Amino acid sequence: MTLVFQSLRKVYGEVVAIDGVSTDFAPGMIHGVIGPNGAGKSTLINMTAGSYTVSSGSITLDGKRLDKLKKYQIANSGIARTYQNIRLFDQMSAIENLEVCFYPAEVAAAWREVIWPPYANAQRRRRREKCMEILRFFDLQGYADVDAGGLPYGRQRMLEIARALVANPRVLLLDEPAAGLNHHETAELTAKLTALRSPDRIMIVVEHDMDLVMTLCDSIIVMHHGKLLFRGTPSEVQASTDVQLAYLGTANDIDDIRAAAQDRRAQLGIRARRRS
Amino acid sequence: MAAADTLAAARPPANRTISWLVFAIAIALIVATPFLPNYHVRVLNSLLIYILLGIGLNIVIGYTGLLDLGFVAFYAVGAYSYGLLASPQLGLHMPFLLILLVAACLGAVTGILLGIPVLRLRGDYLAIVTLGFGEIIRIIINNLDWLTGGPQGIARLDKASILGIQIARPIDFFWLLLITVLIVGTVVWRLERSILGKAWAAIREDQDAARGIGINTTNAKLAAFATSATIGSIAGAIFAASQRFVSPESFTLQESVLIVLMIVVGGIGNIFGIVAGAAILILLPELLREFAEWRILFLGLLMISLIIARPAGIVPRSFGPEKLIRGLFGK
Ligand SMILES: Nc1ncnc2c1ncn2[C@@H]1O[C@H](COP(=O)(O)OP(=O)(O)O)[C@@H](O)[C@H]1O
Ligand SMILES: [Mg+2]
Repeated sequence: MTLVFQSLRKVYGEVVAIDGVSTDFAPGMIHGVIGPNGAGKSTLINMTAGSYTVSSGSITLDGKRLDKLKKYQIANSGIARTYQNIRLFDQMSAIENLEVCFYPAEVAAAWREVIWPPYANAQRRRRREKCMEILRFFDLQGYADVDAGGLPYGRQRMLEIARALVANPRVLLLDEPAAGLNHHETAELTAKLTALRSPDRIMIVVEHDMDLVMTLCDSIIVMHHGKLLFRGTPSEVQASTDVQLAYLGTANDIDDIRAAAQDRRAQLGIRARRRS
Repeated sequence: MAAADTLAAARPPANRTISWLVFAIAIALIVATPFLPNYHVRVLNSLLIYILLGIGLNIVIGYTGLLDLGFVAFYAVGAYSYGLLASPQLGLHMPFLLILLVAACLGAVTGILLGIPVLRLRGDYLAIVTLGFGEIIRIIINNLDWLTGGPQGIARLDKASILGIQIARPIDFFWLLLITVLIVGTVVWRLERSILGKAWAAIREDQDAARGIGINTTNAKLAAFATSATIGSIAGAIFAASQRFVSPESFTLQESVLIVLMIVVGGIGNIFGIVAGAAILILLPELLREFAEWRILFLGLLMISLIIARPAGIVPRSFGPEKLIRGLFGK
């Protein structure tokens, strides 16, 4: 089981956001995607999840073509995602944000929920239990009945990952999960993501926090101007001069890369905090 | 986790006093109605019809978050179903329950027919297009003289009867409407709590994210349009049977706006909110009838102060049927 990009391209009018990317992602691993701002990382995620159409090339999972499907069909093929800017269902409680993910599997029996109260109660209890378990994993159980929009920013980030996990996806796409988190929350996130590694799950993490990427990921791809610049293990990436040049133009030290990334993170943090 | 635990513990308990008060008023009103003069019963019937319409439209506006200004079209479809199938107009005299079924089906079909072209629209654009749809239906009815009787409408509609029991006096319609409101209200409330209702809420909150978790938003929205239109159409058929006369005048844009207003003033997305909204916008004008033109001024002022004082509606979204039941019977 692998997720494969083949000669993937995305153009927005004049802008070429993704320029012929071919690569594949194996299950059981956490794949990092790094690269400067505007490199096309989010575009990759958005195309994989079906939020954006593909200009040319293909995306396949297990040999099954994804890029011709509608967004909801892609989700139902086992792809789940979070967003660079959090997109929760703000006026629904935390647990409802997860419960609604049972829709594809259970909507066909919705009429039974309407006419047969005992069935509806059993369904609701079962859904709630399953979702509570996921909330507990993220230490969110105390917020189950609080509106998602009213949660602290860091909890919202966690809840969005929790929501992505309800359908037990084969592919989990995380777009900057640590953006706006403080050190403590980032450490918590790292621990959770490590625990989510599973032999039959492909995890792809777009991230600017180099410490997080280097400790978490098994394999890293580096994007630059819409092209795949480099692919390798964390240590290979750290050793690559190409990567350093891509980030800084004139870097000769991983510490410079980290400093640059830190700057970017600080900016993002400010933006994220302002939102909440 | 201490903070989170306190949050959970701080959930407010069900409000006993309010629940019993609401329940007692409702029962008192129902018990008193048979002793009221016909005129008052008719006002209550009109209130119940608007509650029914509100419950229907609220599915699209309150639950799914789509501003539909053409709802009156479905009301007209139901009313003309009865007008055409139980009158000398076409010489058809079908039984009331059968017409109710036909009206419900026609309503669902028109709901889907309106839904399909507006699937991609939201907000103001949706409002304008649905408004246009409502007007188109009214204008068609107005101009299709050979079928609908045009502006004169259709008169001498049959007296309705259900299983041999004649429904003719205002009080008969009161019971019919009350039972319909209770059944429809329960079904809609259960729908809202079902997985489909949760999907409607997700679409209201963020349509694209809803697709991202695998919701076929096209189907879910069409289900909302169809259910809502079915209820509007049922209300229309009962309305026609109680008036024993239909004409295009009853289905103007003003009616759609009135129902939207009811929902907004009462508390969007909440069945009890609709009852409150209807009480203010339907009952109050009747109660204030003797004050003639002053009544418009008074209602206008009331509307403005309500919207300033309670922008989210009179009844909070959280005070739904569950809260009432919990308040009445403990837990
Ligand atoms: N919706 C869009 N419309 C037009 N241009 C876009 C859109 N989304 C992204 N882009 C452009 O595509 C390029 C890649 O963006 P993005 O994938 O968001 O980069 P990253 O996530 O790596 O920062 C940028 O030049 C950006 O301006
Ligand atoms: Mg991005």
